[in-house]
Amino acid sequence: MGSGRRSLFAGLAASLSGTAAAAEPPVPSRAIGPRWGMVVDLARCIGCQACTVSCIMENDVPPDSVRTIVNTYEVVKDGVPGMAMLPRLCNHCNEPPCIPVCPVGATFQRDDGIVVVNADVCVGCAYCVQACPYDARFINHETQKADKCTFCAHRVDAGLLPACVESCVGGARIFGDLNDPNSTVRRRLASEESAVLKPELGTEPRVFYLGLDDVLAHKPEGTPTLWRPQHQEGI
Amino acid sequence: MPQITEVIGISREIAWLPWAVTYFFLIGLSVGSFLLSLPHYLFGRPGWERAGRLALIGALACGMAAPVALLADLHQPGRFWRFYAHPNLNSWMAWGAFFIPTYLSGLFLYAWSSLRPAIAADAEDRGILAPLYRLFGGRALPWLSRAAATVAIIGACLVLLYTGMEVMVVRARPLWNTPFLPVQFALTAIGGAIGLALLLDRLLGGHEAATEARLNRALAMVLGASMLVGAAWFAIGFFGLEARHAQALASVAQHDSFRITAFEGQAALALAILLALWKPRGSGWLTGLIALHAAWMFRWTVFIGGQSVPKNAPGLYDYHLPLGPSGLLGIAGSMGLLVFLIILLDALMPPARARAAAPGEALPGRA
Repeated sequence: MGSGRRSLFAGLAASLSGTAAAAEPPVPSRAIGPRWGMVVDLARCIGCQACTVSCIMENDVPPDSVRTIVNTYEVVKDGVPGMAMLPRLCNHCNEPPCIPVCPVGATFQRDDGIVVVNADVCVGCAYCVQACPYDARFINHETQKADKCTFCAHRVDAGLLPACVESCVGGARIFGDLNDPNSTVRRRLASEESAVLKPELGTEPRVFYLGLDDVLAHKPEGTPTLWRPQHQEGI
Repeated sequence: MPQITEVIGISREIAWLPWAVTYFFLIGLSVGSFLLSLPHYLFGRPGWERAGRLALIGALACGMAAPVALLADLHQPGRFWRFYAHPNLNSWMAWGAFFIPTYLSGLFLYAWSSLRPAIAADAEDRGILAPLYRLFGGRALPWLSRAAATVAIIGACLVLLYTGMEVMVVRARPLWNTPFLPVQFALTAIGGAIGLALLLDRLLGGHEAATEARLNRALAMVLGASMLVGAAWFAIGFFGLEARHAQALASVAQHDSFRITAFEGQAALALAILLALWKPRGSGWLTGLIALHAAWMFRWTVFIGGQSVPKNAPGLYDYHLPLGPSGLLGIAGSMGLLVFLIILLDALMPPARARAAAPGEALPGRA
């Protein structure tokens, strides 16, 4: 069953001919300590949103906001329709554009590469929200401060996996140390072709996708979904 | 080309609220008005007395109202001190926290030092406020006026620079990521300031047809320059001369809302220019309103319209102006504060009169 499902999605991914330009696997750093990153195997993602929900529950994300979501698209190529899933989250970039714009230095990158927000300092100016090309940030309506995926840093620090990884039904999200040559993320990146979102911006994302179609690596153009949940301010 | 239909997606809501539009509008008007006041108060050019006074009222009123909108955009105004406690000097916004006080300090000092003789001369007519006028009035201090004007001019340029750069550096939004943006912010700010002076000329007592004509001529030039900048941006994107501009144009050109706004904006500017040139005396009401409208709508389209273009989704995000503090009430409140400040300043500020030359100072045209 498992192998059948894998082959089904692998076939579907392959049917969407033309994968995104391959990303260079990161060079292991000689720095002591981990550099956390994620590999998303799109052939294994079924778009169940278990990651979306578990992230909300784990991180107390307020209603009508998400730190991660699986965008789902119908892609028709040469008359052949197919479904494509694209889990989106903070890319914990090596060159994060959100950090230099923060006027008070509230957002910063930890030594292990995780980009976080110091809520005690954040002024809620939303400059980082504008600067992130991946729309991974938002203003939390309860704290009125910038909010984003932290790779579940509190869990990682305790030796646990991020909630989205642990809850992923198909095992599509793989989390690990990019500095460790024996980690699964490094082995998958070494053996398979991977891609990142919007590589032309030079942000050097540390979330890699396996089997990413090129048309989804950038802003997809087409028909928008009919309904998008959106926060509405009360009068 | 594959056809894509988004099946599941979310909206990222507007993060820079109408407060931001209001702030950029007001601070732009303040800077533009201050520059418009210089011919009279700094250079003593004859014929600019009324325009100078109206512009100074606009500069002070908008300068005082603008930071209120800026603080409101922080959701909790008390957070502002962190800009000084933890400045990240890689951020244009952080520099803005220093440029705004520099400009406003220079502006207030420039206004006070320039008005000192007029305030003193006005004291006898001010009833119970006479002691206050005697306290703040006095002989002309040209060195102080020049020093304050210099600080304010530097501050004004820095404010124009940072407000433009702050938005321009956002590569994530191709619509913002263009060097034309700071230029267009500056031109529409100056155009809006002239429009405000034209409007105040009609609203505050003592309308002068000659001032109206002078302001209208200046307005036609500034709006003409603004149209040229807009046309240059469009041409670079339309002919694909530069990839980012082509990407920016493509992201909005397909949407009717942007097309209509662009057409309406250009038509309004053309109408204002024609009116200002054809009927410089008597058209101030209309040209002034159109110039203010252009300054507001440009910022509204850049900020609110720009944020309605998704970074990672097809189509546009919906935006409905909330009626509460983050929307209509905030805008109305800011404009109410502006009107109050204009009325207050008009009541307190001495009437326009030819600036007396300080000892040893030759005024242009009077040598």
